[in-house]
Amino acid sequence: MSSVDVQDKDRSDLWSKIVSGADAIGCSPLGAGLLIVLAVLPLIPPFNQEHIVRWFIMGAFLAAQAIAFDFTAGYINVVNFGFAAFLGVGAYTSAILANEMPFLIIQPGISPWIGMWAGAALAGLLGLGLGWLTLRLRGIFAAVMAWFVGIALMGLTRNLASLTRGSMGLHPSTFLNTTSNLPYYYIILVMMVVIYVTLRLLTRSHIGLAFKAIGQNIDAARASGINPTFYRVLNFTLSCFFAGWLGSFYAHYYASLTPRSVMHTAKTTEVLAIAYIGGRGSMWGGMVVAFPFVFFIEYLRSNLTEMPGLHMVIYGALMILLMIFYPSGLAGMYESIASKVRSVLRARAFVGEPKVQTPGTTRADVAQE
Amino acid sequence: MRQKLPFAKSVRRTISEHLPALVVLVSTVLLAGVVGAAGGVAQIINSIVTGGMWALMAVGLALVFGVMNIPQFAHGEAFMIGAYASYFVFEFLQVRLANSASAFLQAAAPLVAIAAAAGAGFILGLFLEKLLFYPLRLRSKAGEWVMNAFLLTVGISFMLTNGTTLVLGANYRGVPQYWNAAPWTILGAPVSVDRAMAFVISVICIVALWLFLSHTRTGRAIRAVSQDEIGAQMMGVNLNFIYPLTLGLATALAAVAGGSMLFLFQAYPTVGVSPLYLAWYVVMMAGLGNVAGAIVGGFIVGILQTATQQFAGVVWTDVIPTVVMIVILLVVPSGIFGTEVKGISEK
Repeated sequence: MSSVDVQDKDRSDLWSKIVSGADAIGCSPLGAGLLIVLAVLPLIPPFNQEHIVRWFIMGAFLAAQAIAFDFTAGYINVVNFGFAAFLGVGAYTSAILANEMPFLIIQPGISPWIGMWAGAALAGLLGLGLGWLTLRLRGIFAAVMAWFVGIALMGLTRNLASLTRGSMGLHPSTFLNTTSNLPYYYIILVMMVVIYVTLRLLTRSHIGLAFKAIGQNIDAARASGINPTFYRVLNFTLSCFFAGWLGSFYAHYYASLTPRSVMHTAKTTEVLAIAYIGGRGSMWGGMVVAFPFVFFIEYLRSNLTEMPGLHMVIYGALMILLMIFYPSGLAGMYESIASKVRSVLRARAFVGEPKVQTPGTTRADVAQE
Repeated sequence: MRQKLPFAKSVRRTISEHLPALVVLVSTVLLAGVVGAAGGVAQIINSIVTGGMWALMAVGLALVFGVMNIPQFAHGEAFMIGAYASYFVFEFLQVRLANSASAFLQAAAPLVAIAAAAGAGFILGLFLEKLLFYPLRLRSKAGEWVMNAFLLTVGISFMLTNGTTLVLGANYRGVPQYWNAAPWTILGAPVSVDRAMAFVISVICIVALWLFLSHTRTGRAIRAVSQDEIGAQMMGVNLNFIYPLTLGLATALAAVAGGSMLFLFQAYPTVGVSPLYLAWYVVMMAGLGNVAGAIVGGFIVGILQTATQQFAGVVWTDVIPTVVMIVILLVVPSGIFGTEVKGISEK
């Protein structure tokens, strides 16, 4: 063996270590490339206008929500239909904690950077309570109860006017003292990556294995010694925690909160559509879909102002078509294409070598004989 | 096999078996009494009228869940379609009958409008089943069906609501009253003819459905499917006939509710949201898929709603029922009347 070969092998070893390390936190070379593109794109001329940067922020916000949503919907097969309400709880908590104006009964004036964790914690606690109550039952109970609780939370927010100013809405302070959108873009991008990496690491651990087992067959999971209620509640709580965390970003970026604008069920449905179009159980699918989707929707909204609600019809139509004809979404499509490419490459690499028989074909052969 | 028990013992056993239902029923009657004492008989009658409508909505929901195992989220849109259908037919008839002196035709026009709503709802149900649920059923794996169907109905609801906004605009379309007549007097309280008729219609529909389900061959087939799908198929029940029929009936009932409540709920794209919420509330309370429970539950929720509005204010109507529901789920997760429809606990 020549020395060149050895060097080559060493290098490929190092490379494969980097790839597998990156893969553990859910970052394939393609994903890393896309992330860098996303980070750089708002600096390049056609995209560096303020309103387009706002679209990027909306995309990243939706993407982050889709990840947190898919963590529950895709892994343990429970649809959190009150997702927007939990997000709103985080938003309102952090906004009220940051309040210094005399129009509310309390003026703690805590920095949004601290308040966001309080908002996340409160949303997580609420999720824990609701999960503990409903996740012993079939998934549909959790979905419907989360919906009820979401409606109740929205009603509560509207009624506690001395704390939330009711339907008039709050105008919380912003994170930064700037009119530029770009810093906010990097804040939400970092939040998105943090959520993705955290949940990805979790789903890669034995806990994630339990989640998947529960999502696929709850009886088999129980038979293998997994306590489904514990893991489902854990999952639900985490998802709600991150929803609340994202809510605080909403509060301190848009600086405008009304119960309808954050907590309405239609908001949950948007996230749900993105998560499912992206592909359930992938987490990255929703992230990839969110950006082009926001651009498409915003383009539609700004150019077809005489047709309000058209983008919602498109959401609905896409969801229906996808649910019937392609339930695995974009991630499923990517997987099937990637596996085809891989098999073609493998076939090329093994030209001349004996074909390896898979157990499936063997059994078929036996049956034929 | 249950032994024949002495009378006192059997009463005691019946009470202990149906304790949650009894507690809720007794407290509902008490609540109705309190409402009546505070707000007069008219309040009780109003809540019974709306309760009848929620029962109509909830029966459809329970039927669809029990027979087809679909958690129907687009049920409110059937209510909406019914309201629109009634509105357009009624307006059309009113223009035609404006110069007609026939009192009979004037009185029959609203009934025609409500019948049109039922027809529109039935057709909607048939289309949904044939175009969407049938292909989904072919492609769905056994364990994923409930969630997939639920998400599909979310998409349907989204599309119907926003499609209506797109086509008809977000205007309110309503009629002040169907029957231009002096209010009837029931137990000393004046009740408008519209309300009284709404109650009569809901009772007729529920009784008709009940007779259909219990006394006809097709109705028995529907109940058989809700108990055991494979067993029913083996007895020669054609599921491709039963499923569209069930969904059509359920959406028709919701559309009738929408049509006959037009004087109270004006037709606009998102009118179905609160009826949907209440119907789901009834079904969760009574037990998923429990058709008989849904009927009683509708009236219970009607009283609860009126009581909340009267004693806590309109703004709390969303909050207090949810608290009540949490208590119910804590104590009796399978609903106050209980169900064994395809298992509610994931054991």
